[in-house]
Amino acid sequence: MADNIEIEVKDLDFHYAGNVHALKKINLPIHKNMVTSLIGPSGCGKTTLLRCFNRMHDLYPGNIYKGDILFQGENILSNSSDLIALRSRIGMVFQKPTPFPMSIFDNIAYGLKLKGVSKKAALAEQVERALVHSVLWDEVKDKLNASAYELSGGQQQRLVIARALAVDPQVLLFDEPTSALDPISTAKIEELTAVLKKDVTIVIVTHNMQQAARISDWTGFMMLGELIEFDMTQKIFTAPSEKLTEDYVTGRFG
Amino acid sequence: MTRQSRRKIGGFVALVLCTLAALLGLFWLVIILGDVLIHGIKALKPGLFINDPVPPGVAGGGLRHAFIGQLLITGFATLIGVPLGVLGGTFLAEYARGRKIALIISILSDIMVSVPSIVIGTFIYAVLVRPLGHFSGWAGAVALSVIMVPVVLRTTEDMLSLVPWTLREAAFALGAPYYKVITQVVYRGAATGILTGILLSIARVAGETAPLLFTAFNNSFFSTNMGQPVASLTVTIFQYAMGPYDNWHEQAWAASFVITIFILVLTMAGRLIIKWRYK
Repeated sequence: MADNIEIEVKDLDFHYAGNVHALKKINLPIHKNMVTSLIGPSGCGKTTLLRCFNRMHDLYPGNIYKGDILFQGENILSNSSDLIALRSRIGMVFQKPTPFPMSIFDNIAYGLKLKGVSKKAALAEQVERALVHSVLWDEVKDKLNASAYELSGGQQQRLVIARALAVDPQVLLFDEPTSALDPISTAKIEELTAVLKKDVTIVIVTHNMQQAARISDWTGFMMLGELIEFDMTQKIFTAPSEKLTEDYVTGRFG
Repeated sequence: MTRQSRRKIGGFVALVLCTLAALLGLFWLVIILGDVLIHGIKALKPGLFINDPVPPGVAGGGLRHAFIGQLLITGFATLIGVPLGVLGGTFLAEYARGRKIALIISILSDIMVSVPSIVIGTFIYAVLVRPLGHFSGWAGAVALSVIMVPVVLRTTEDMLSLVPWTLREAAFALGAPYYKVITQVVYRGAATGILTGILLSIARVAGETAPLLFTAFNNSFFSTNMGQPVASLTVTIFQYAMGPYDNWHEQAWAASFVITIFILVLTMAGRLIIKWRYK
């Protein structure tokens, strides 16, 4: 395995409970410290694939994975893998902001406390660092004890990103993180991804092809549970090898 | 007559019938509350809360024994019933979610909510009072807690189900084990709803008489010994109202007034919390 590959998906098949074959023989690499976007029409399996990376499907009974997902060389689909450890190394940000019903400070501190950080000074320092990292610090530094629900949608989403960053993950999974946000908030999050990729690897599912073209280095195009094409983003959007990809990125369907 | 005017008349008739029904209900409610209010306030004296009963015919005396007894029984019932109800509701909404067992327990506790409370009283009589050979405050507290459990359980289940799944997923995605997701995130999201349910369930049992008759029985003397019969306001009201003395009647009115206000305050607190949470 090459050094610059963080996650390698090998022959991945995924069945939802009730035998819905959602992912078919997926093979793709996720490059380290780069942004990889997954695009495709609704129901193509891109979110399903994203949720395999932190084994989110395990929360619901009856889902079946086949194949391998190697994260830093280790198969995370093996039965022995520690999901709690895995999820603290691979963070996730959802479509709708998911602040917890507690203060801004406590939201960020939550993951840190799970990791065993308990000293007040250490918590305060790491909370500040995460908020600075997600470019939210200046907006919230005077109201850390206010409820997270008082923030705007865009701020909440950056709070959630800060919360995920606080536990020092190696990978961040973004599940359509801007689809519920206004254009200005969207721009801020897009700028943020460019900054964040210095420290973490990012996989983003998006419905917005312009967004994929703007922020990602690699792009995978999916359809009906299959990965049709995976390549450098520039190539996917300018000279795709597959006819289907070309039709999709030029807006002929989807 | 055109179709339109027929509809208008139909609508008007329905409106009149509904209004009359509402007024009829309200009429009795106002009469009852007004009666309790007028008689109760008249008989309300500080001595009622700080004195124990005196022999009939002697002036003064109060119901301290019944107030304290009621607090003890209701308090212990809450201590037994609330944890059971909350944990049971958590099991249904979280660990057994979507499974048949959860549905069965939900339906059974809905049925239990509407079981006449005297049935629960006689049941506790059979399993606690008879084997031990005497009435006791504990038996009263257990009887009331049995009434509380299904109420708390169902409210907890409903309130936990209202917490969006994405919130749980977000906590899982940070690497939290399930029990921490529940206790630190889900409970916070549902806290006001669960608290409301608890307050309403206390209000529900605070006015119960029948189950106490068979369990805590009554006591004419001040006692905090839960292993023995303990006085309660409701049973005392029953006894005093049925008694032949004017002095007793007055105190029964005052006690009715106090317990009505207590339940009113609890219920209103419950409603206010809901309003404050969802404004």
